[in-house]
Amino acid sequence: MAEGRSGDDIVSEYLDQNPHLVQWVESLRGVQETNKQWHARREFILRNMEKFPTIQQGFPSPGLDRLLSLSMCWANHIFLGCRYPQPVMNKIKEMGDGVVVNDAPVRKSRDEIMGKGKRTAGGDGDACSKPTKAGPNESRSGNPFKQGPPPQAPAKHQPFFNRLYKAVAWKLVSAGGIGPNLDHFEILRACTESLKETLSCVFVPLKDIPDLPAARTQKEGQVCELRCQTVYLGTGYGRDEAAARSMASKEALKVFQGRKVMVKICRRRFNGRDVEDLVLLDDQPRNPGFPPAISYPFQTEQEGEGPS
Amino acid sequence: MGVPAFFRWLSRKYSSIVVHCVEEKSKECNGVRIPVDTSKPNPNEVEFDNLYLDMNGIIHPCTHPEDKAAPKNEDEMMVAIFEYIDRLFNIVRPRRVLYMAIDGVAPRAKMNQQRSRRFRASKEGVELVEEKSRIREEILGKGGYLPPDEIKERFDSNCITPGTEFMENLAKCLRYYVADRLSNDPGWRNITVILSDASVPGEGEHKIMDYIRRQRAQPHHDPNTHHCLCGADADLIMLGLATHEPNFTIIREEFKPNQPRPCALCGQKGHEIKDCQGVAREKQGEHDEFADSMPASEQEFIFIRLCVLREYLERELTMASLPFPFDFERSIDDWVFMCFFVGNDFLPHLPSLEIREGAIDRLVGIYKDVVHKTGGYITENGYVNLERVELIMQAVGVAEDNIFKKRKEDDEGFKRRNKEKKKRMKAQQRGPAYLTGGQFAPQALGGRGRPDVVQNARHQAFDMRMQGRDQHNRDAAQSLKAMMRNGSQAGTSDGQDGRGVKRKAEDSDSEPEPEDNVRLWEDGWKQRYYKTKFDVDATDDDFRKKVVRSYVEGLCWVLRYYYQGCASWKWFFPFHYAPFASDFKDIKGMFTDFEHGTKPFKPLEQLMGVFPAASGNFLPETWRSLMSNPESSIIDFYPDDFAIDLNGKKYAWQGVALLPFVDERRLRAALADVYPDLTSEELKRNSLGSDVLFVGKSHPICDFIQELYRGGSNDVGTEMPAELCHGIQGILNLDEDPILPEKPVQSPIPMLRDIAHNSAIGVKYKDPQFEEDFVFKAVILPGAKHPAKVLKPGDWERGNNRGRGNWRPQLGFNSNRQQVHLDQSAFRTLGHSIDRQQQGGGQYSNAPPPGSYHQGNYSRPPHSAGCGHVPAFPHSRQHGLLGAPPPYNPQQQYPRPQPGGGGGGGGHGWNRAMQSQGSAYQQNMQRGHAGGHSGAQGSFHQPRGHDDRRQDRRDVRGGQQQGFNSGRNYPLPPPARRYNWS
Repeated sequence: MAEGRSGDDIVSEYLDQNPHLVQWVESLRGVQETNKQWHARREFILRNMEKFPTIQQGFPSPGLDRLLSLSMCWANHIFLGCRYPQPVMNKIKEMGDGVVVNDAPVRKSRDEIMGKGKRTAGGDGDACSKPTKAGPNESRSGNPFKQGPPPQAPAKHQPFFNRLYKAVAWKLVSAGGIGPNLDHFEILRACTESLKETLSCVFVPLKDIPDLPAARTQKEGQVCELRCQTVYLGTGYGRDEAAARSMASKEALKVFQGRKVMVKICRRRFNGRDVEDLVLLDDQPRNPGFPPAISYPFQTEQEGEGPS
Repeated sequence: MGVPAFFRWLSRKYSSIVVHCVEEKSKECNGVRIPVDTSKPNPNEVEFDNLYLDMNGIIHPCTHPEDKAAPKNEDEMMVAIFEYIDRLFNIVRPRRVLYMAIDGVAPRAKMNQQRSRRFRASKEGVELVEEKSRIREEILGKGGYLPPDEIKERFDSNCITPGTEFMENLAKCLRYYVADRLSNDPGWRNITVILSDASVPGEGEHKIMDYIRRQRAQPHHDPNTHHCLCGADADLIMLGLATHEPNFTIIREEFKPNQPRPCALCGQKGHEIKDCQGVAREKQGEHDEFADSMPASEQEFIFIRLCVLREYLERELTMASLPFPFDFERSIDDWVFMCFFVGNDFLPHLPSLEIREGAIDRLVGIYKDVVHKTGGYITENGYVNLERVELIMQAVGVAEDNIFKKRKEDDEGFKRRNKEKKKRMKAQQRGPAYLTGGQFAPQALGGRGRPDVVQNARHQAFDMRMQGRDQHNRDAAQSLKAMMRNGSQAGTSDGQDGRGVKRKAEDSDSEPEPEDNVRLWEDGWKQRYYKTKFDVDATDDDFRKKVVRSYVEGLCWVLRYYYQGCASWKWFFPFHYAPFASDFKDIKGMFTDFEHGTKPFKPLEQLMGVFPAASGNFLPETWRSLMSNPESSIIDFYPDDFAIDLNGKKYAWQGVALLPFVDERRLRAALADVYPDLTSEELKRNSLGSDVLFVGKSHPICDFIQELYRGGSNDVGTEMPAELCHGIQGILNLDEDPILPEKPVQSPIPMLRDIAHNSAIGVKYKDPQFEEDFVFKAVILPGAKHPAKVLKPGDWERGNNRGRGNWRPQLGFNSNRQQVHLDQSAFRTLGHSIDRQQQGGGQYSNAPPPGSYHQGNYSRPPHSAGCGHVPAFPHSRQHGLLGAPPPYNPQQQYPRPQPGGGGGGGGHGWNRAMQSQGSAYQQNMQRGHAGGHSGAQGSFHQPRGHDDRRQDRRDVRGGQQQGFNSGRNYPLPPPARRYNWS
């Protein structure tokens, strides 16, 4: 079946060509399914039908039941937010490849609500991975390798950043507020050091960064990423390292302009794949759209086989 | 029923329905426990005929109690269950029938709820263990102390589901228990025991209802049977009303909210597991002598008198000037039906109807209108008139918008108050008393904050001295501030829009609110609701209609289930959310009938339908693998993790679990392949069983049954001769492995002895059978006598009582209850032996043993002329209730005319103190007390001519308020006198 067209078109075309299937496939619809859910699942079933050669239209068979079961798994995953054991997830991801679901609902799984590890993502992070098209499988499933910050990390780091928030606030007051002549990095450095911590700056030449939008023509300069206690604060670009660092600090200080700062686990890109990272956010519930990470301090275990 | 608030609402509004149980405790003599003789008259001054136990309400607290340590193994659980039944039996003392019903396979409609509970329970269990070990490590790492972890296997409460070995074992144990009591306990000698175990399909309470319904429909039934049903579910009240039996009482544990639970790690009360610090336990009393005396540690029981509830409802529902004579029984059925809108186990409740927001009162108001308009009731014998339902729904729908707005307002007010309260509480929080504070507070080793050296010892000492005092000042200041803030906010809140307030709430240090995308209080709520909850556009009318149709079917199914039994084992509501009331349009033709001849699941099939893969160990190997094998054709029923929609609630357990529904056809097809793998033992567990009837040797029907066994089997079964068993009918079949007299019964529990001299006999029992289209009539049976009225007649006034006959508030079942009295010498003795240092209250507030009722013949001095009122006596009881008991003061207790009331008094103070009706009494006394302060209002009514009878007299006004605390049409009492149930 051709890719790139909307799923409904393909399905109706296919059904036009195979009218004997129409009645049969409609009989597989569940009472509780909305049109949207059913259309997606119908496409899933039709696309994968050939893989179950024992299926005969009109007769229940074990093969059909398996296909139905997997289609339900897939639909439950996309629409209800269920998760299944990894082998099942892998399978439905593979089978669901190419089925386009627009605007699938975002659900919070029980594990996420209870703040349990594996796939935790803070509210914002979740929004990042909000599936818009076939993407759901890619961004929701997968990631079997265990790495990234432990789920209790935000809570662990939060007190420090509360203090840092205060320190920065006072420092800014004494420096006369945010102004043109402010040395952003100096402020941030002084504050962290007053709390017996250090800032870590990582520099990477711009041209070494993958994932850059193709439109970007400028290939010179440096990019700096600031972290403190492994928590990501900001990224900046500049002609040289000092300028990049200053921009990064400026970015970081923006976060401190809010009512409070929060440490959260968010998804972002790193080396071409999605990882979970510790990030400092302010209280504005917006979609931050992080720049890709330059360093990643949570790579304790061996590299997993990323999906890309 | 899934409406925890329902009972609370009911008991607040109709408070006279609650009667506290009098329980005779067994005595100990020289270390030997003397069992209570339950063949003696019931100390509650009422005699019950039948006791029905909804066993699941007993099994759960006995196997995993919340307020005490869990039993170590299955045997201990069984013994705990036995003891619990013994206790109930001792309180209720049934004289004819004891019916024990364990939940069997439930109708499909219930499966959604069961699935959701079990999937959650399984996850919660694992989480608790994880959290425990994590915190334990943390605490031990910090040098805290924790009692060693007992090694016991984790009890998976999911095994309380029909079809598991645990349930089979339980049935076996209960048979043993019944045989033992029938053989050895004199109170059981003449009763008929029916045990309906988990192998009999149907939920426990509905099996009970089915029994009652079928007995009522046969001609030998005694219409004046006094039923007593045990169970905490609110729907038992509905079921009880639905029987239309005039004497129906429910017994349940008294719910005491906010009971401290012991911490799961260290076993101490007062903190939760996450706040556990692993400090040594604080001594209770100087020498830890109060260690085990948690106040009111044992759960007490209450009766709920449905006949009193019927009286209340009669007042509320009675409609004047109808075009046809008002039929109270029909309106009760309608009331029951309307309660389903607010919540039940089978349908999600309508978003706009919330019991806490007076939904039922609203419905009753609308209902009366509708009956007037349409000239008829909305239900009949469990069948629904949809046209009239639509009118009700539409009337609710009109108000929906305002309801949501009001809810938001209330919610914010509540949150604000809560936050302030929390702040205040935080300031007061302190560790155990032995922990030193300030300079000398314990510090963790290697911690960052080391205490400073004492700079100025004198100053330091001063600080510590002042600390305590400051605390109080701070508290006062804080509450004052809070008050002022409230005041100012109330003033300005009109100007602010909702968002402004919300921002404020977010500022707090409290946990973040779950985001609510639906925002029912803002315009466009309906679109948003359908979009977020169902993932459909508001324009998708077909889908919305489908939801409404299913919901309408659901309402019909539920009502039928309550009045006629399970109409379809297959039907279920296939959505996670309810539609809006305003969506119920043109519903008249939406439902005709249910599919006939549906069959319940087999027990193991149902287990496959409700268990998560993590509880697969209760199932045979090949069955289990269907739950986890990626090749399984039903793998979609068993997600590892599932989404929870908090749906405006705060905690995960309150939210809606978005679990996929089970496809029955696929389930059966998948199981067909693995059926051959069942062992014979599993096959037996999977089969549907039968109720079993037991009687003792002295029961008249015992010989008849023995004859049956001698005669050998017959396939059709034998009708029970009605005259031998109080008119109970049914069909008897021989049991394959019966309990027979003189045949020893082996004990299934090692710590209990075998019954060598068994005198019980057991036989299979089946309820009387009727034609399939038989309709059980929801009416009062001819010959039924209504119990005496309890509530104050509506037209009864203090002034003209003499002509009206006498009405007196009633506490217990018996309106002529005798009270206990102390004579003068007793008071002297008391005054002498209780010195002033002793804090009164506690030890005298215990109920006297029931045996002492008829003692004391103290005759009260005559009243001063012309005045029938004596003042309310300040009283040690209510102080006990309020916390700090004052020193005992005999002056107050002893009869003494009080200037306020102007009447002469009898020795009421003590009479009342000795009153056995625990807290029902307290509440009245409290009212009386409050009334006493406000002058002559709160005075006791003393009818003339009854001076020498020791009867219950209560504060007349109290009695009145008790009835109508929240009734809309009646004056509200001043808030100070309101008795708060929880």
